[in-house]
Amino acid sequence: MEAADNIAPVPGKESLGNATAQGANQHVRRNPPIAGEAEAIAKAQSGDAQAFEILYSLHKRRGYSLCLRMLGNVAEAEDLTQEAFLQLFRKIGTFRGDSAFSTWLHRLAVNVVLMHLRKKGLPQISLEEALEPSQEDGPRKDLGARDLTLSGSLDRVTLERAVENLPPGYRLVFVLHDVEGYEHNEIAGMLECSIGNSKSQLHKARMKLRDLLRSGQRKEAAL
Amino acid sequence: MTERSALNGKDMTCEEFQRQLPELFESGVDLESAPHLRTCENCAALVRDLQYIAAQAKLLLPIKDPSPAVWQKIRRTLDDEQDKQGSAAGERP
Repeated sequence: MEAADNIAPVPGKESLGNATAQGANQHVRRNPPIAGEAEAIAKAQSGDAQAFEILYSLHKRRGYSLCLRMLGNVAEAEDLTQEAFLQLFRKIGTFRGDSAFSTWLHRLAVNVVLMHLRKKGLPQISLEEALEPSQEDGPRKDLGARDLTLSGSLDRVTLERAVENLPPGYRLVFVLHDVEGYEHNEIAGMLECSIGNSKSQLHKARMKLRDLLRSGQRKEAAL
Repeated sequence: MTERSALNGKDMTCEEFQRQLPELFESGVDLESAPHLRTCENCAALVRDLQYIAAQAKLLLPIKDPSPAVWQKIRRTLDDEQDKQGSAAGERP
């Protein structure tokens, strides 16, 4: 599969897809220089097989977590992690260090996942369906909100689990925007939807998460 | 009819306020100054929760590793590709 190659590339030396550098730059705080990375990249560019393994070890968690959060499925996430790294290694000779290596991988992984999802069609369908008026669009009465606010009570595992349970279209926008830091104009470009749709999906995703998290709290309180 | 702005519209209903919420969130304005939130505890709780969820999401770090099988498949594929390239080079006149 040459997923990333099928997407119009960003102009630039290391363009591997349409997840833009602007969004990726927001992740610089999460991408400090990694000891041994530059040396491994240079060796991998010379065809050193062991250097590939070092680079994989350094970045597998980041790449896999991204795929898993976007897909919500372990088997698919592993397949696409594999695909993303294979594409990365095949093209490592073109990497010139204009952006962080992890940013390069990140863009590539996002595009590999999006291409996969486009072939499946699931999130796109969800995005369009969500444009239709539904009961969820009405105002929330939220009786009892006073004693059931989430603030201060949310742990990471609970939030991860709730994100996994989001519908695919909601999850995709939530992960790209709130977790990975992409802007709405970038997400709109990636998902081929309007900026307004991206904002609307994000809002609905957060609302759905709130419902999921609060219903979890209620269940815990009932025990 | 032009909708009242959530930031200066007094006596706004929950429906009016929540309809504007997606845009307000993404505009970066200080929602706490919205008049509706001073009088509506439900919408205030909603806004607090949504802000909290967005803030917590930023703290989610990559924590899961793929199974060892993923690297084994990558390694095998790369080796196969290298072998094919080697064979192709050897066959050239």
